[in-house]
Amino acid sequence: MTPRWGMVIDLDRCTGCQACVVACQAENNVPINTEAIYLQHRAIQWIRVERYWEGEFPNIKARYIPVPCMHCSEAPCEPVCPVYATYHTPEGINMQVYNRCIGTRYCSVNCHWHVRFFNFWEPKWPESLHNQLNPDVSVRSRGVMEKCTFCIQRINHAEQNARLDNNRPLRDGEVNTACAQACPTRAIVFGDLNDPESEVAKIANTTDRGYKVLAELGTNPSVLYLKKIDPDAPAEHGAESA
Amino acid sequence: MRRILRPVLFGVVALVLLAIPVVAILARSYFFSPTAQPAKTQPIAFPHPLHVNTLGMDCTFCHRTAATQASAGVPALEQCMFCHKVIPTTNRPNLERLVNAFNSGQPIQWARVHQMPDHVHFVHAMHINAGFQCQTCHGPVQDMTAVSQFRDLRMGDCIACHRQNNARTDCAVCHY
Repeated sequence: MTPRWGMVIDLDRCTGCQACVVACQAENNVPINTEAIYLQHRAIQWIRVERYWEGEFPNIKARYIPVPCMHCSEAPCEPVCPVYATYHTPEGINMQVYNRCIGTRYCSVNCHWHVRFFNFWEPKWPESLHNQLNPDVSVRSRGVMEKCTFCIQRINHAEQNARLDNNRPLRDGEVNTACAQACPTRAIVFGDLNDPESEVAKIANTTDRGYKVLAELGTNPSVLYLKKIDPDAPAEHGAESA
Repeated sequence: MRRILRPVLFGVVALVLLAIPVVAILARSYFFSPTAQPAKTQPIAFPHPLHVNTLGMDCTFCHRTAATQASAGVPALEQCMFCHKVIPTTNRPNLERLVNAFNSGQPIQWARVHQMPDHVHFVHAMHINAGFQCQTCHGPVQDMTAVSQFRDLRMGDCIACHRQNNARTDCAVCHY
């Protein structure tokens, strides 16, 4: 069966350490965001950790939520592209075809999660990092959109290896995204939602804390969040999801 | 007379100017198509016919990773020296160059022959294991004294073959 790649992010495990962000930048040749670029609001982060505060000063709590691309089944970014540069793969990944993109930026305007990034500048790395670039990932030039791909280079590589190995089906755990691999608390779990035996499907099917960000838009995201368990919260709050 | 001539002249000039980019694009794909390129001169004139036809060596003896990895691999000089250690080099300038390069530890700067378009990831292993011969894409290399590109290897070429063989034509198979 064709896999449907998906992700579960357990906010109760997330400590906001940003290891996923760094791993993603390194894996996917994402240019380095300098302070000047942040001030221009043009930073590129395929996955970002959003921080917000809950409560007032003495009883304040920091909350973190890692936001990769949701890989919506009904992705709002896809129908607005005039050149079909963004499309859905049969495996449920919302892909960006860099060499087709003409940089209209309609997709990023239509994305409610703000996880599409435009290359306003030619990406630059310091001389010492030139050999650090991942050869399996295209370096996007100025003028094209880029976004989280669920580490498609790793998925393709694993699928190729499985086919070379007597055409066997992929095993759970053979493919992992850079962010999930780097997460020290295993807050991010990646896998095939169509395989009921996979870890990600087991969590998604059994949890009672699951919610999807902006689920009310009806885009059916492939990323499921698990609500933070708050020991101080009153009990009747339990079933309510954010 | 001049009243008519001027707009006509203007129109002709404008048409010619507009036609330049169109002609340039057509000429680019016609004259500069990968298969129209002359065979590249290599630092050492490596004779494929001798190694393959006369000596009967298999492609994967030198291009070792063709069946297992994305890149087929150009052999290191050490691999040439498996045999050339014991083959006399007198009056054979190509072999002298090879042995000198090996002894001085200088790699040979082979000229790349097959030009794939940018932004595409090609995996040799998948194609070899699907049962394709090297010659399907590379042409009769065993008969080429100087190797030149045999097939177009642009996207239309890839897609046509993928469709014929029921391979995936999803963008993300090659472009990521």
